[in-house]
This record gives sequence, structure tokens and C-alpha cells, in this order.
Amino acid sequence: MKISLNWLNDYLTEKIDNDKLVENYNLKSQEVEGLYPLVEASKLTIGYVRTCQAHENADKLSVCQVDVGEKTLQIICGAPNVDKGQKVIVALPGAVLPGNFKIKKAKIRGVESNGMICSLSEIGVADFDKKETGIYVLDGDAEIGKDPLKYMGLDDTVLELDLTANRPDLLSMRGVAYDVKAMFDVDIKFNKPEVKREKAEEEINIFTETKDASVYYGQIIKDIKIKESPYWLKSRLLASGIRPVNNVVDITNYVMLEYSQPLHAFDFAKINSNKIIVRKAYKNESIITLDNIKRKLLESDIVITDGEKPIALAGVMGGEETEVSDSTKAILLESAVFDPISVRKTSKRLALKSESSSRFEKGLNYELTLEALNRACELLVKLADARIVGEPSFFNNAKKIKQQFTLNLEKLNTVTGYNFDKELVKNILRRLDFDYKLKDNEFIVNVPSRRVNFESYQDVIEEIVRIHGYDKIPITLPTTPTLGKLTEKQQFKRDLRNYFTGLGFFETNTYTLTNKEKATKYDNSQKSLVKIMNPITTDREYLQHSLIPSLIDVLAYNEARKINDVFLFEIGKSYTKENEIELISGLLHGRYNYSLWQKELNYADFYLAKGIIESLFKNLKIYDYKFKVPEKELVNLHPGISTEIYIEDEKIGWLGKIHPEEEKNLEIKDIFAFELEIDKVFESHNKANRNFQEIVKFPSVSRDIAIVVNKEIPATELIETINNISNNSLKSIEVFDVYEGDKLSNDKKSIALTLVFENKEKTLETNDVEKMLKRIIKALNEEHNATLRQ
Amino acid sequence: MKEKINNLVEEALNALDKAKKINQLMMLKSKYLGKKSQFNDFMKELKNLPNEEKPVVGKMVNIGKNKINQKIEEVKQKIEKAKINQKLKEETIDVTLPGKNISYGKKHIFTQTIEEIENIFIGLGYEIKEGPEIEEDKYNFEMLNLPKNHPARDMQDSLYISEDILLRTHTSPVQVRSLLENAKKKPVKIISPGRVYRKDDDDQTHSHQFGQVEALVVDKKTSLADLKGTLLMVAKSLFGEEREIRLRPSYFPFTEPSVEVDVSCYKCNGSGCSMCKNTGWIEILGAGMVNNNVLKSCGYDPKKYQGFAIGFGVERIAMLRYGIDDIRLLYTNDLRFNSQF
Ligand SMILES: [Zn+2]
Repeated sequence: MKISLNWLNDYLTEKIDNDKLVENYNLKSQEVEGLYPLVEASKLTIGYVRTCQAHENADKLSVCQVDVGEKTLQIICGAPNVDKGQKVIVALPGAVLPGNFKIKKAKIRGVESNGMICSLSEIGVADFDKKETGIYVLDGDAEIGKDPLKYMGLDDTVLELDLTANRPDLLSMRGVAYDVKAMFDVDIKFNKPEVKREKAEEEINIFTETKDASVYYGQIIKDIKIKESPYWLKSRLLASGIRPVNNVVDITNYVMLEYSQPLHAFDFAKINSNKIIVRKAYKNESIITLDNIKRKLLESDIVITDGEKPIALAGVMGGEETEVSDSTKAILLESAVFDPISVRKTSKRLALKSESSSRFEKGLNYELTLEALNRACELLVKLADARIVGEPSFFNNAKKIKQQFTLNLEKLNTVTGYNFDKELVKNILRRLDFDYKLKDNEFIVNVPSRRVNFESYQDVIEEIVRIHGYDKIPITLPTTPTLGKLTEKQQFKRDLRNYFTGLGFFETNTYTLTNKEKATKYDNSQKSLVKIMNPITTDREYLQHSLIPSLIDVLAYNEARKINDVFLFEIGKSYTKENEIELISGLLHGRYNYSLWQKELNYADFYLAKGIIESLFKNLKIYDYKFKVPEKELVNLHPGISTEIYIEDEKIGWLGKIHPEEEKNLEIKDIFAFELEIDKVFESHNKANRNFQEIVKFPSVSRDIAIVVNKEIPATELIETINNISNNSLKSIEVFDVYEGDKLSNDKKSIALTLVFENKEKTLETNDVEKMLKRIIKALNEEHNATLRQ
Repeated sequence: MKEKINNLVEEALNALDKAKKINQLMMLKSKYLGKKSQFNDFMKELKNLPNEEKPVVGKMVNIGKNKINQKIEEVKQKIEKAKINQKLKEETIDVTLPGKNISYGKKHIFTQTIEEIENIFIGLGYEIKEGPEIEEDKYNFEMLNLPKNHPARDMQDSLYISEDILLRTHTSPVQVRSLLENAKKKPVKIISPGRVYRKDDDDQTHSHQFGQVEALVVDKKTSLADLKGTLLMVAKSLFGEEREIRLRPSYFPFTEPSVEVDVSCYKCNGSGCSMCKNTGWIEILGAGMVNNNVLKSCGYDPKKYQGFAIGFGVERIAMLRYGIDDIRLLYTNDLRFNSQF
């Protein structure tokens, strides 16, 4: 909302300092977006063009002798419309015009020029008169040597407020005045409009067929002379951010700004009946609106009709058929209240948001419907020589909404934590112009209708606090005795983040919305996708099932910027129609803990990724995990370099190399990724025995064996066999060599293992170990046809 | 005899001094002190001396022997030390060559900011509650005093999945759920961090996805003054001990009164600069006293209970604290950005 301070000052009995106004608005009412002069120009004066002759060296220039009061200046002017006898706006040497345009004495084609004769756009108000093409010619009453801005009413300052949805009262200048009164405790005054009505000449009947129109006044006004508005009206509209058009349109806009009551004028001659019926649109009905577009209507739209067809879209836009034109002589002026929700739906659907529609949407003060109409009549008589014919026709079904709230003084004080006494509250309510009765400790407050949208005494508390000042509220802390603590799961997620950052992974923060292809790219669950009904773009239309595509995007982004060693992780979610599953996902690419000059490059590989996950499990005391060869190929992963991860026989994630085809498309080689379900890992971690385990006192014994098996037998199966046969006596198994080649037949491989045995009760004898080894080798032979390598 | 002894000791000491290796030293030792050495001969000759000279010469011989032994020990140590020094010298490397590139990682600034806010509130006794991002209209809007067609819904243009399901536009639904879940309607003191979504085009200051942390306290006497105190604590913790706060009226459907909270500018200390647009204050978050309609819809009697709510934009806090001027940087994951925090 742009507020003309000249206009505001009309209502105030004393002037308020601009800085104070800004400060108070910020702290007690609405955020100030800006405070600036309507015209940012200095050293302007009204001049009189005494003579105007052609420039001797330039066809298009004129040499003017301009009387500016105390002296006459020679000014070169390039405007084709400059002529002697005109009163014009002169920028004197030293003047600064909008855009920091400085006016200096100069020689133009050899002739001296002492200033500039200005057009409206040169002083930044082109909209003041849209007919003007050259310099602006003031009317004959303008006084030479005086400030033209003052003469035109443009010597105004604009206070721009960023209004919140609960303050539609500030969409009217009168509402702003009330607000200033409450904040500064100053008096305000309003004039009641005076209208002389002539005898009715014809009858017009106004009805409604819908409850969504509660009040409607229609006034016949005749003999209108459509012309330009006076300076003061134009400049006030300009200051309010509205472009002047002609006197009728300007008056309706002016009254809207004054009362927040939108008005609409129909060309009375073009209404083909003597009735106005407000109703909901019929099915398949349409209207051509003022902007010359045919609008299909819905049954939820409110329309103004002539009894047959719609002639306006209530609160949103008039119809072209009854549009006021320059030749209009008589109008029907509408001042009405329509249902906010209905107007909002229509304006939103048709994308026809306007100053009017947004006022209807926010709720009008139904007590001012008639007064606003009368104010417009008063101005039309004054500025358009109009005759107001007969009393307005109307219906008024507005229920007087009683906004009465009981505010308990004690509640006010417990809610605010401040000690308001009765006198203070009384004083604030008086400043707010809120009627009240005081009963014991209770204020029964009647909130005036100009403050719509009050819901409860809480709104009254807000008014009292803001007017008194938030700075006066003391500083305390809640006394609710509670324990602040992360849940185990929350702590677990922090630990996960710490684990991966500790290992050199950067955490990413990516978008969860993606396109259809990426949403399922690395997802094997084939669960339902979640689709956005009204997406911003098709690239943000689906919720991800996996974070890997996002991590790959991050890799590609960095790789393109020559950052080639990329280790990433993120905690995010897989979104399906049924649930949201938390995931931790990681990506490994490039060199890890490397040293160039020592020739240790350590490129990330499958086993680095696997080791990191294994180490995580050990860290979390999860021991019952397995990396299985997938039964079905995992989507978009290398079929031979990928594994499914199980904990206690439940699948909890996967790990693998991105499929070479994908890598080819990305032009990045050797990308490894993993994705684990956090809940499942957490559950298993949470079940782990946390008690202290006795440290074994007896020394362990280690033995190395090398066995030869068929190539396709996975190492993990051999290890499982060994684990099963050796019960608790085996402390650890480690693979220290894998060999395939000349020394073995083609279909064989050799795996060398270090087995470490221990016994919690006694020192192991060589004999015991040998026995155990024999059993292990026997079992390996039976189950996997393995032999000891000689 | 005495002179002979003295000469011999002197000769031995000189010879020992010149020894460079341990075996050389050992040879000299056997030469001067061994069984076939001259000293041994002196000992043999001792008995031929007159009785009164025996002790004097004997003593001389012993002193001489001790001197030589001492010298041997001394030289031995010197040689060994030289040997060690030689070895150390051979082992010396160029310590100015670079170390191995040990990979390091960092939590994202987004997470760091959330964790920091969480920690502040944990210190103040708050629990942390989480909830779904795909939310019902009922929890996201209706129970928060935002019925269908409420104009304030325009403030939060939403991404819908169906008529009644949407991506949450704030983490407030977690608060609604927490209040509803609280069967005995006991006091509540929680924060709810998480991702939220709006139908906004991504640009320098807008992001369709962003983070929020909301705080909620509901108890019998929780007041605006308590809100102010809490905000002051949080502002000081996030922006520095010298910070002040100020509250300005605002509007949110779920709180009444509602306020915007400014923190005194930490760049200019309130005197005015480009950071604070010359106002001395920087807007950091919104807050307010819980609207009675919200309490009612969650089963709390507004006659007995009241409370406050605070809403942080995670990115906004991070951007303000680190002087980041484009929200998209927090979602690009340029490692040159991520590694800075
Ligand atoms: Zn500053």
C-alpha cells in the first residue's frame, strides 16, 4: 500500500514527523517498504515562455526567452509543442532530475541555454497526463516563479507499507488515519459527504438471487461530462500507485482508496432493462470482460446481470458491453459487498487480480458501502458536473456482525508477561477507537466494523501490545521443567554423519524432487512413485526413490569443474505413496588418501566402498551382516561388481559400481555408490549387546592356509563354512592372497587365509589347533571340493 | 722406570685418540693392556724393585692403566655416537615434501546450522520431533487455523500430490501431531526441524525446497515475555553475545499476536550498513503466541493453556551468518563451497 502523506495529513489535526512515522509503523503496525518523494527533482520553477524562435543552426530546436519570476532565461528547447505564451515547468541550472540527471548551463549548437523546459516523463510522472507528448503545459492559473510540483500537487511523499493479510483496514486512507491516531494519540477528522439528490426520473430495481452478495447500492447519475481530473486528484492517485484515466474512473479509484470500497460504473444507456439481478452464473454462461476477452463462467462465479445476461463479473471485472466510454452521459454506479471467497476463486481462476478484487477478497466494511457511494456522488457533482438522480436502489442483507470479545485483565497479563493495569488498557482502547465496557476485571470490547477479521480476544491482545510497544514486554524464560535430549535415533543419525565426514566424505544437500527417470533410476523396490499434481517444472515432478541420481549430478558438476576426487554422502528419504524411508547414500570416485610423489594413487574401488561399510557395521557392533551376490541384476549397476547388503537376513541396502553404460554417458569412469536404510541399520545397532565383554586372557594362535577351489565359488561361502565348523574358537579370518594363473588350472583359484584361534578358558595347545584345522579342511573339501594348496 | 711408565701412558693415550673404529680400539687395548703388553711387563718388573719404591711405582702403573681404560671408554662412546649420527644422516628425508592427501569431509552447512539450533534448544530443555514431508492438508493447514480458501494460503503456494495431500509447507504439522499425540495433554516444549516445500521458482532468494526449525512451548503460563527471553537467548547464541532483539507486529494465521524478530546488525553493531539496509536491524525469523484455534483443534483448552511458537528458516540463518548471497549455493554442492564450512 502506497500512502500519500499529503492525503494522510488532510485527516490529521497535527503533522507527524516522517522519521517518527516510519519508526512507529515498523515497530507498531506494518513494515515500511520505503519513504520517498513522489517526484525526485530539485530546483524546478514555473516559467512563462515570452518568445520562442527557431534556432539558427538547428531545425528542430527553439530558442525561448522564459520568464521565471525574478529574471528571464534563454532556454533551448527541442520539443515540437513549445510555443510562446505557455506556462511550463523549468528545471533551473543546478537542478537534478530523476535518474540523477543534472541540468547545467550549456551552449547548444552555439547558442546559450540556461536550463530545461521539462516534459512529464523528465520529472518522472509520465502517467500524470498520458496525452502529453512533448513538454508539459500548465494551465493558465499557474503562478510564474512558484514551485510547479506544489502547484500540481506532486510535492508529495509516499510511505510504502508491506501489508499483512490481517490488516485490510490499511487498504483505505481512512483506516491508515485511524492507525496513526492509535499509534500517536492524535486527533483525526473526516468530512461526511454531502449529496444533493434530484427527483427520480426512472426506476431501477436491484435484487439478488445469491447469498454471496450481501449489500448492493446502485445510483443513477446523469449529465456526466467526462474529462480530465484536476491536478490534486491525479497526483493523489499517482502517489497511491494508480494511473489517472478520466474524472469518472479517477473518482471511483479515489473513493476506493479513501474507503477501501471498490465502485463500478456501468454506462446506464447500455443496460437493456430496468433491473439489476445479482446471481451465480449459469452453466455454460460467458461474458466478454473489459479487456475484450470472452470468459467462460462457472456456477461459483457471482455475476451482475440485467435480468438476462451477465454485464459484470462481481468484484472482478466489468463487462465490455456496459463499459463507460468518452461519450457516456449517464452511469449506474455500483457500491456493493460480495463474498470474499467467491471473488477470490474467480479472480484467481481467471488471473484477474486487481486493486478492487483484492479488497473484496480481504473483506469490506459493510457500514461504509453507502457512504462511499455518496462520496463518489459528491465528487462527480464537483468534478464532472453530474446530476444525482433519485435515491440509490439497493438491497442490504448484511448481518450486523458483532465483534464483541471479553478480555480478562489477568489473561492479558499471563499471556503477555507484562503488568497492564486497567487505566493503561482503557487508554489504549480509547486510542484504538474500540468501544468497551469494564466489568470487574473484564473488558467487554466491541471492535468496530472497519477492523474486520477479528477472531477472538487474542486479536485484542495483539492490538493492545503493539500500541503499547513490544519493547516494553519484559524478558523471561519458560519455566516448564523438561529434559532436552536427542533421541537415540537422532543421535544415531548424527553419529552416521560424523562417521562419514571423518572418513573424508562431504555431506551434500540436494533436492528431493526430480524427474521421472531419475526418481527410480537406482531403485530396485519398484514401489509406487509420488507425483506432484502441480509441479513447478517436469524436472521437479516426482519425489525421489533414491538419492544416488542427485549424488551423481553433484559428482558431474564438480568433475566438470576439475574437482576429480569426489566422496559424497547424504541422509535423505525415499518417498513412496505408503511411507518415507530414511536412507544414507554415498558415492565414491577418484583418489582416496593418496600421495602423488610417492606413487600411491589409491583410486576408489569396490573394496574401498565395501570396507567402509564393513567398518561402519563393526563400529555399530553389528556383526551379523552379509554381502550377497544379487539374484537379479541391480538396476543401472555393473552386474559383476555389485552386491546386496543384508543384516540378519534382511536386505538393508546395496553397494556397487555404476553400470559402464551410465559411466559412458556421464564420461566419468569408476563411480561406486551405496545406499542403506537407516531404520534397519539403527534397529540392529540398537539391539547390540552394550555390556562390557571380558577381554580374553589367553594368547591366540594364528595359522595360514591356502586352498584351491573352483573360480566361481565366492570367498564368503568358504569363510562361512569355516565359521560354522569352528564354533567359538575362531577369533578372526582374514584373506591375505587370492591367486589365479599359470600355476593353477584354468577353472581354479587359490585363496590364502589367516585363521586366528583363541580359547577363553585356556591356552591353546598345538594339538588342539591342528585338530581344528583338519576339521576345517575336511569341511571345505566336502562342501566346496576345496583342496589344500601344496 | 717411572719415566718409562709415563711415556707409555702418553703414547697409549695418543694412539687411542686416533682410533676411528671399534676393532682398532680393541687392538690398541690389547696392545697396551693385554697379556703381552708393556704394562704387563712392568707388573712383572715390579717385584725386582726396592721395597720402598714398590708401592709408588705400583700406584703409578694402576693410575696409568685407569687412564688408558677411561680413554678407551671415552673413544668408544665417541665412535658409537659418530656411527649413530652417520645413520641418522643417511635416514634424513626432505620433510618439506607434502604429506599424503588424507581425504577430509564436512557436514553440509545446512546440517551444521540445524544441529547448532537443535543444540541451543536442547540446552534450553527442548525435545526434537520429526514428521513426514508428505503431509495431509488437515495437519499442514486446517488445524493450524488455515481453513480451505483462507487468503493466507496464498502466502504459501503449495505443491499438491492430491486434493488433500501435499508436500508440507512448514514443519508446523509436526507440532500439531505432537500436540494431538500428547494423550494426557501435558505441557509441551519441542522443536521440529526438517525439509519443507513451496511452489516457488528457484532464484537467488527463493528455493522450492528449504529447511525450517520450528519451536513450540505450550504450558499454563507460557508468555510473550518467555518468547522474548527465548528469542534473545537464541539470537545471542547464533549471532553473538552483544546482540539485541526487537519484535515487530506481523501476521501468521497460527499465532496471535504474531511478530517478526530482528536482531541488531552484527556487522555494524546497529549504526547502519549495507547488510542491514541502514536500519541497524536484520530480520531473522517469525514467531508468536499460539492461536487459540490451533490449541483447540489439538485438544488443548485455551482457557488453561497458552504458548508460543518460533519459526526459523535454516538457509536464511546460515546465509546471514556466513554472508552467503545466493540460496542456490546451498543446494549446488560445489565442493569448493561445501568445504568452506
Ligand atoms: Zn548493519
